[in-house]
Amino acid sequence: MDITEYFSLVFTDYTLRTITLGTAILGAVTGMLGSFAVLRKQSLLGDAISHAALPGIAIAFLITGAKDSNTLLLGALVSGLVGTFWIRGIITKTHLKSDTALGLILSLFFGFGMLLLTFIQKQPNANQAGLDKYLFGQAATLVESDVWLMAIVTGICLCVLLLFWKEFKLLLFDADYTKTLGFNTKFIDILITTFIVLAIVLGLQTVGVVLMSAMLLAPAAAARQWTNSLATMVFLAAIFGAFSGVFGTAISASQNNLSTGPVIVLVAAVFVAFSFIFSPSRGLLFKQIRFIKNRRDLELHKTLAFMYHIAETHENISHPHTIKLLNNFQGFTKKTLQKLVEKNYATIDGSMWSLTDLGFETAANLYTKQNTEDE
Amino acid sequence: MNSAQIEIQLIASLVAIACAIPGTFLVLRKMAMISDAISHSILPGIVIGFFITQDLNSPLLILLAAFTGIITVVLVEYIQKTGLVKEDTAIGLVFPALFSIGVILIAKNANDVHLDVDAVLLGELAFAPFDRLFIGGTDVGPKSLWIIGSILVITIGLLLAFFKELKLSTFDKGLAASLGFSPAIIHYGLMSVASVTTVGAFDAVGAILVVALMIAPAATAYLLTTDLKKMLWLAVGFGVLSAISGYWFAHWLDASIAGSITTMLGFIFLMVFLFAPSKGIIAVMYREKQQRTEVSLLTFLLHLKNHTEERERHVNHLQEHINWQKVRAKTVLDLALKNNMIVVNKNIVSLTKKGDAFTSKAIDYIITNEDAQIEDMKDDFFLFRG
Repeated sequence: MDITEYFSLVFTDYTLRTITLGTAILGAVTGMLGSFAVLRKQSLLGDAISHAALPGIAIAFLITGAKDSNTLLLGALVSGLVGTFWIRGIITKTHLKSDTALGLILSLFFGFGMLLLTFIQKQPNANQAGLDKYLFGQAATLVESDVWLMAIVTGICLCVLLLFWKEFKLLLFDADYTKTLGFNTKFIDILITTFIVLAIVLGLQTVGVVLMSAMLLAPAAAARQWTNSLATMVFLAAIFGAFSGVFGTAISASQNNLSTGPVIVLVAAVFVAFSFIFSPSRGLLFKQIRFIKNRRDLELHKTLAFMYHIAETHENISHPHTIKLLNNFQGFTKKTLQKLVEKNYATIDGSMWSLTDLGFETAANLYTKQNTEDE
Repeated sequence: MNSAQIEIQLIASLVAIACAIPGTFLVLRKMAMISDAISHSILPGIVIGFFITQDLNSPLLILLAAFTGIITVVLVEYIQKTGLVKEDTAIGLVFPALFSIGVILIAKNANDVHLDVDAVLLGELAFAPFDRLFIGGTDVGPKSLWIIGSILVITIGLLLAFFKELKLSTFDKGLAASLGFSPAIIHYGLMSVASVTTVGAFDAVGAILVVALMIAPAATAYLLTTDLKKMLWLAVGFGVLSAISGYWFAHWLDASIAGSITTMLGFIFLMVFLFAPSKGIIAVMYREKQQRTEVSLLTFLLHLKNHTEERERHVNHLQEHINWQKVRAKTVLDLALKNNMIVVNKNIVSLTKKGDAFTSKAIDYIITNEDAQIEDMKDDFFLFRG
């Protein structure tokens, strides 16, 4: 099956439609909430939470003995929240730093989850097969009810975001000010953290524990490069996330032996790389171009200033001098000279140059500006 | 205990020591999450090494994987340097991408061999004694014991040789640089050791346990001491303790050894987190409660000094005027009485001579905020501790 065939099948084939819709919604909601995680400098929280959810899944299975995905997700949510608040407790109550707290909870919870999983595997219960799909995710196991659950959570999340938009925004950029205005920052904080945990837990089934953090970060990091407005960023991140989901599913469906999760992550990574390079205001490419342009301008000004100093010593400013004089000084290129001529700052006559009135005036302005700035 | 059991415990303990040493420095340098990133992103290195050699035990695998680990660090630093995103975001972007490449490479090309992602992430310590090393036909012990043993020897050698440099650059990068030690060399040296240790250990114990063994013992030790040498010893001790107790826990439960060693690490951390003498959560909460009482007491004493009218100095007035919700007024009153700061006469509170002198000093301190004032006060009273 190739990509075009995939797109023609999406609308008719039940399984493909479900999976595509599921990954698209997931990408949108993680992108949306990921923007907050990235801006709050909680990028790695996603990694920690997705690992911390594992023991919850195992315990939920141990208690109910059934593999109902909603119960398991509930378990994951509870244990993800416990992990989050323990991380916060470690950071606020001890002198351990946030990265230590994250790494600690991540590895300890995950190890404990693994212990429980191997313990479950030894149990005489035929039901347990497939629990490990939460480790690496299997988009193929998505069914319609899962997609509905995702859609409902996304809807609630959207409502809450719109309702508390102002508070979220304020908390993001100036937490202390928010507090002095009388907002209950703790409540807003818990609300946004809970939704981030919820989004991560929803994604476990599709992309798995290990790759969930990328789903949260990549669309947001890509969106950040294109805008300075929070609303635009959240919107763009949702779009990027949804597209990563759809393209990732399409690529993995069009080939054999290609798991969906990693492909989605790589597609998202391509979005990030593209944004890093080509974004007009922050991107590396345009930054480099601006850098080169600035350097050229500077060189031009330097030449002009040097010419000005020479011209100053003569009564007639357009008194010709040899080009050699310039070359001896710092080796200015023909190109800069040509630029000066183009800008009508100087004229060249054979191997002689002379400043024009315009050039003299510009240079004088440059010179005085520099002097006043120096003082 | 049979010989396989002894060997497993020995391997686990050696891994624990080999991880605890670089882990301590990672925790102190606030780079703990780098170990998590490395442990995931070495996967493509291993897979490519396997494609080249077709042998899971080739040293080339370790080299390539360690190299991928270094690439991760360099990439993270490069992205961070562009200023487009913060450091933690850079980490979170790099390692899932590399890990995804590894997973896809395995799925596309190596589905039929013994190289599945579970094994890389989780490892299986129980099988380690069966993979033995033969030199000239004689059995000299499990292969992983030799691998991790050599890594440990190198790590300890480097630690002894560069202890001063490591210590200095960890706590004062600027001073280290100005004294002529290159922080970059030490940084990449440490990253290389962490990377090689991760690779050498994951075959036996899995990537997640490596991360746990690097961070958890060091973090636990950090709650108990601020002395670098003590912290290293404690971290090694906690690592070995959980390795051995974890093994027996797994033996008893008949479950994953790596999982139960991690669980033991978690249990020890929880205990220290709760009960550590000065930095444990209970000690901290007790101290915070005491400080709240002390501040309330001071507020109360100042109130007494400011008001001579009897109405303002009645015992019942405590709750009314100064709104103490959490600290009960009685605690404050008892504390003040015990310290001979006040006398209560017919339910009217008044300052004693000592209380009056103390309160004047306190006002002095509050107004001038000079440390000299508070030094005296600490002796005759416990206020403003730590």
